[in-house]
Amino acid sequence: MNTPESARGGFCFENAIRNSVLSANGYKAPTARKTGTTIAGVVFEGGVVLGADTRATSGATVFEKNCQKIHYIADNIMCCGAGTAADTEHTTQLIASKIWLHALATRRKPRVATALSMLKHMLFRYQGYVSAALVLGGVDFHGPHLYTVYPHGSTDRLPYVSMGSGSLAAMAVFEANYKDGLTLEDAKQLVYEGISGGIFNDLGSGGNVDLCIITADGQELIRGYAKENERKYRRPGGYKFPSGTTPVVPGSEKFKEQSKDFALVTEQDGMDVSA
Amino acid sequence: MTPIQPEWTSTEHSMGTSIMAVAFDGGVVMGADSRTTTGSYIANRVSDKITPMHDKIYCCRSGSAADTQIISDYVRHYLSMHAIELSEEPDVATAAKIFRTFCYYNKGQLMAGIIVAGYDDKKGGQVFTIPLGGALVQQPFAIGGSGSSYIYGFCDSNYKEGMTKEECITFVKNALSLAMARDGSSGGVIRLVIIDKSGSSREFHPGNKLPEFWQG
Amino acid sequence: MSILQPNASVRGLPNADPRVASSGFKLGEHHDPYDPLDVAHPAAPLSRHFHPYEDNGGTVLSVSGGDYTIVASDTRLGSGYSVPTRYVSRVIKLTDKAVLASSGMHTDIAILHKVLRIRLTQYRHRHRKEMSLEAISQLLSTILYYRRFQPYYTFNVLGGIDENGQGWSYGYDAIGSHEKVRAVCSGSGQYLLQPVLDNQVEFRQMAADPTRKELQLEPCVELVKDAFTSTCERDIYTGDLVEICRITAKGVEMEKFELRAD
Repeated sequence: MNTPESARGGFCFENAIRNSVLSANGYKAPTARKTGTTIAGVVFEGGVVLGADTRATSGATVFEKNCQKIHYIADNIMCCGAGTAADTEHTTQLIASKIWLHALATRRKPRVATALSMLKHMLFRYQGYVSAALVLGGVDFHGPHLYTVYPHGSTDRLPYVSMGSGSLAAMAVFEANYKDGLTLEDAKQLVYEGISGGIFNDLGSGGNVDLCIITADGQELIRGYAKENERKYRRPGGYKFPSGTTPVVPGSEKFKEQSKDFALVTEQDGMDVSA
Repeated sequence: MTPIQPEWTSTEHSMGTSIMAVAFDGGVVMGADSRTTTGSYIANRVSDKITPMHDKIYCCRSGSAADTQIISDYVRHYLSMHAIELSEEPDVATAAKIFRTFCYYNKGQLMAGIIVAGYDDKKGGQVFTIPLGGALVQQPFAIGGSGSSYIYGFCDSNYKEGMTKEECITFVKNALSLAMARDGSSGGVIRLVIIDKSGSSREFHPGNKLPEFWQG
Repeated sequence: MSILQPNASVRGLPNADPRVASSGFKLGEHHDPYDPLDVAHPAAPLSRHFHPYEDNGGTVLSVSGGDYTIVASDTRLGSGYSVPTRYVSRVIKLTDKAVLASSGMHTDIAILHKVLRIRLTQYRHRHRKEMSLEAISQLLSTILYYRRFQPYYTFNVLGGIDENGQGWSYGYDAIGSHEKVRAVCSGSGQYLLQPVLDNQVEFRQMAADPTRKELQLEPCVELVKDAFTSTCERDIYTGDLVEICRITAKGVEMEKFELRAD
């Protein structure tokens, strides 16, 4: 109890008993933001291409139209995340930090297998309660590597992978079009088509296609590789709310008098409601 | 309106499996299908369920993919440490007992059915099974996973004592083909590992080239 | 017992309890596993694994001006995270002066539309005239309330022109409660759309302005297009296409307008 929150490792379970009593009495626990997602990756000659959509949902509502689901682990390793947004975010951040310290301690460039075993051991320890479904890709001195990591800690190594609610759509594209020995351009096209399949056929996925190319020379993250869901229509003339649109509640003039010190709102300060 | 998560997004990755191992004079033949499923979705159709523990000891994994991967990581670690201390190749029985210890003491939390097999100079080719509760049984041959229930009769009637290596390979291939044909959670390709005094070798049989003798 | 709980999930395995497994589905008994108040009887029939209701999403609206009404609906049919079809019509022209748009469960929408069509045909044959908007609004309410305890899982908006040439919209709940309004919407994008309509059509939250004029037909169509475009930016069950019906003294005219497809 005397240790400051930030100095302790692991999770805090201080309110676990109180919260279980609350939920037993019908108080609903806050739900985590679970994102429907399409993430995927393909190995090509000399590297890997990772891809992701950019929609974050909460129930049936789109929370964020252009979020980044390809996370940084190291300069030569990236990780796409699906599942509970907070879990994927924090798991990848934690492993990125551990990988960097490990690289400093061993004085060697990070290896993909190291990141993989750190991720799988962490996720296994939490028995699936940390729900992060990941696609891990990178290049080290052994060459290109591509893995999937499931929330319970199981891993697979494959030449082409997909994850998230749109993984079936993406995998359908990969199973139809994947060939061994792809070039960089072919691999980019294949991942783009896979993610597009998820974006258009899975309601949990949407927005733009992000790609990340990792080779021995480094990595390149392309945000908005394809933008096929830009807004198509805007009402001609837009919406105009002239000054004084909002009625003043009678009796609030006194407040108006007091608030003279505040900056005056003029026409030019109007809220941008065009979007 | 809450969107309904497809069941495979939350279901544990598990291996409804067909695995087996047969001992012959001077070695073992191990075999497995390659299907990994999450609910009704095939998450991996070319998985490798025959995992090396040491140069001449392998294990076939069935049950939860996460559990069996982690256990075999630990056993490989302990076994290699043990081999270094011993300065010689470890016994198959030792590997099996380490597995048994993990599976027995954590049986409430694990879903792992494992077949350990291999070769050591003292006792030649050996096959051990560790079923769900964490028992340890040595057998002349062992079958495991959800697909095994379809082939008990076949295996009991076709297993002969003193089979050669080649006869064992055919026996394993035939038995696994039958299991994979009937069990929905088994399928894909057949992977074989053959271990003897000289070391281990692998065989790969693609799904479109499996024995079909039983189709008549 | 929350009867309107949508549930499209496929329950994995049949219940192992033999008392449950042997008995069949009984009409009218729905068990909601998520409802803490809905305690399953130990000998309850298999219906506790049978979920007859599914929400296929979709957004519908009806906006009326002085001499016109606009009824619109998107055409996406959603199911869980899938899109079974991108083009399915949820609007039905009942007469030259009345159009109905329904969201909710598509099988019920199809049946409801069929029932209404039959009733309107019977009326036309008996009375040798079309049913008035006012009468249709009451008929729909009666049809819905008839199934008070196993409702059609539909959320309807009805729009048209009444016998005085005046445009009106009607909003319904699933069991027939209805209200005559200027602008109403229903379905998965309801909570995104309704405030926009309140503000732009009924000028709510706006100071009185004597110079302000009522929305004319074409500007109103532009508003509807913009409102649907905005709704499908944030609601995953709305998209693909919107069918916009202009109902004027000249009759019903339908326009199709493209929305985002992701």
